[in-house]
Amino acid sequence: MRNSGLIAMREFKERVYSRTFLWMLIVGPAVVLFLLFLLFKAGDQGKNSIKVLIADPAGLLENKIVAQEGKAVQYYFISDYLEIEEFRDGKEYQQFDVLMEVNEKALMNKKVFAFYREQPSGDVKMQLKFQLERRIEEVMIESFTQLSVDAFRQIKQPLNVDYRNVFDPKNQASNTAGWVGFVFGLLIVSFVLLFGMTILRSTAKEKSNRIVEVILASVKPSELMFGKILGIGMAALVQLFAWGFFIAVGLWFFRSFVFPDLFSPANWEGVQMSAEVKQQIIEESISGRYNEFVELIYERIQFGWMLAHFMIFFLTAYLFYGAFFSTIGAMSGTESDGQQFVIPVLVLLGFALYSGYLAIYVPDSPFIAWSQFVPFCSPVVGMVKLAQGYTPGTYYYLPLSWLVLVISTYLLLLLSGRIYKNGILQFGHRARWIFFLRWIKKS
Amino acid sequence: MLEINDISKSFNRKLALDSLSMQVKSGEIFGLLGPNGAGKTTLIRIINRILEQDRGSIRFQGKLLTEDHLKVIGYLPEERGLYKEMKVLEQLVFLGRLRGMTKNDATKNARFWMEKFAIENWSKKKVEELSKGMAQKVQFIAALVHEPEYLILDEPLSGFDPVNVELILTELKELKKQGKTVILSTHNMKSVEEICDRAALIHQSVKLAEDTVWNLREQQKKGEFIIRFKGNMIGFANALWTGFELIDREEIGENRFVAKVRMRGENKMDDLLKTLMGHIEIEAVEERFPSMQEVFIELIQGKEESHA
Repeated sequence: MRNSGLIAMREFKERVYSRTFLWMLIVGPAVVLFLLFLLFKAGDQGKNSIKVLIADPAGLLENKIVAQEGKAVQYYFISDYLEIEEFRDGKEYQQFDVLMEVNEKALMNKKVFAFYREQPSGDVKMQLKFQLERRIEEVMIESFTQLSVDAFRQIKQPLNVDYRNVFDPKNQASNTAGWVGFVFGLLIVSFVLLFGMTILRSTAKEKSNRIVEVILASVKPSELMFGKILGIGMAALVQLFAWGFFIAVGLWFFRSFVFPDLFSPANWEGVQMSAEVKQQIIEESISGRYNEFVELIYERIQFGWMLAHFMIFFLTAYLFYGAFFSTIGAMSGTESDGQQFVIPVLVLLGFALYSGYLAIYVPDSPFIAWSQFVPFCSPVVGMVKLAQGYTPGTYYYLPLSWLVLVISTYLLLLLSGRIYKNGILQFGHRARWIFFLRWIKKS
Repeated sequence: MLEINDISKSFNRKLALDSLSMQVKSGEIFGLLGPNGAGKTTLIRIINRILEQDRGSIRFQGKLLTEDHLKVIGYLPEERGLYKEMKVLEQLVFLGRLRGMTKNDATKNARFWMEKFAIENWSKKKVEELSKGMAQKVQFIAALVHEPEYLILDEPLSGFDPVNVELILTELKELKKQGKTVILSTHNMKSVEEICDRAALIHQSVKLAEDTVWNLREQQKKGEFIIRFKGNMIGFANALWTGFELIDREEIGENRFVAKVRMRGENKMDDLLKTLMGHIEIEAVEERFPSMQEVFIELIQGKEESHA
């Protein structure tokens, strides 16, 4: 065990002190944060303040729209038609970003054209639509009914049917939550693949430069294999923690300084609406879906719980697949020789991802119920199921899934230790499937 | 003492070692000789527990060889290998620690040997930056860094220039003086003659001979003598007559010659001297022993002829 520790430390230092590793510590989280930034920004793009010119030849709106004093959207009115070309080229109209024409037909066919110079952001479009719609409503109520505006709006409320699982009345197990679990699974698969390939290359390299003979004169093959897997795994963990830390700091920074108004509609400057209305806007709009994602990231996902299980699944999955990769490395005659044997492992990893994807959309299917106990699928499916939440009576699935994975990993390590022992000192050959069987049989 | 008893090993039905037995005494330099593919490396790997024998046993200081004994064995494999991206000192310390040393002791020893081999200035260089000879020295030190009692060296002289060959041989003699045991597998027969106490010859997975280097040479001697004399060559040849055979001669000066003579029948050196006295002026006479190179070839060819 002491020797495995020494080997692990050597592997760890070799990787951690390399420039590539240090670069990836910075570049990796930077890429992730940049993508998240784009995702957040997607719901916040465009100008913050626009001027809208409303051509209202019939005087329907009476130069009045609820938010006309606001800063985000400023409304200006003309009581005549305006040709598009004139709006586009006329000097006096250059200050306006959008031209909207509201004529008598708008009351009946509920259609208004908006001509823009630069496409407004999703939020602004939604505000425009909402504010104009409400103003037209007021006009219609006044013209065609005896009701007060408040009474009309009470009547107008649509009926929402919200389907909820009886075991999940708060709807924690939404697709979005599943996707977050899937992203955790994807991280596991990515790291396993990345560092599994490192194990393969490192083993094959030791074989090809013959240092392995010197090492094996001091340590057992199984100690060498375990030390190598351990050391590279430690480097993977450092990278993972560093990524986690930088991404967490980045998310905090986004929330505090870059997107402080991600959640609260009250932070929408210049839009003077009641909180109820603003919430309605959020729920009804595309931005609402976007905010659901943000809320999921910042509020609903229990990262402590998820991360604890992520670590368990990550470590066992890494050992499980690491055993495959080290075996392939030991079997290979040269560094490049083992590449062909990676394909089946890639297929397994791909299958694990596909199972995780299915778990998002058909979480209760028999296939998913079984796949969480299949060792090469369980790290991904387990994370998805964990994010979705287990229903009463199925809580034991999680520890059982992990137990099966741990036992399988142990057995696989024993088996691959056997192949490793026999393969590591074979030189000048091309790896062949027959060696697998031959070296497994050989004591 | 290292006792190898009846060791057999085969790879995919190909016999690499066949019931091989030998003894390496403590404090000696033991030559392990044999042509390529004879089974020397397989035997060395078995002693180092890298491979497992199919049959037989190895006893180390009277006890069955175990993993613990590896801490007092140093090994230099034929196929050299080091971590190319690792720094020299770091690498030596790592290998020393794998053999059970503490970090401090390993560092101290590594520095000592690096100084001895004049590579201390390279301690912070990566192995890939070293010349081949330099890397060979590092590899040699790696086998010694943990102060082993037994040293197993597979072709330790290959890749070294004559100056460094001398350096290594001197070092091995020094280690012997310190009571260390060295098993030396080599094709450099001159070095075997120079430093080995005993040797064993393996051919086609079996042992052909095992004895002291002197005895091995003596066993193959052919009754040949080298005579340096002053006088007439024709007179010398006539004097030999039927009891001796002149097999070679060389003029080294005016009326001075070196001749190689082989005995016939039961003749001895005394008879030769009696025969020649009065005919020539003898300056020196010595019996010629075959070199280890000749012993090697003789034994191998003898074995092959007996098979044919």
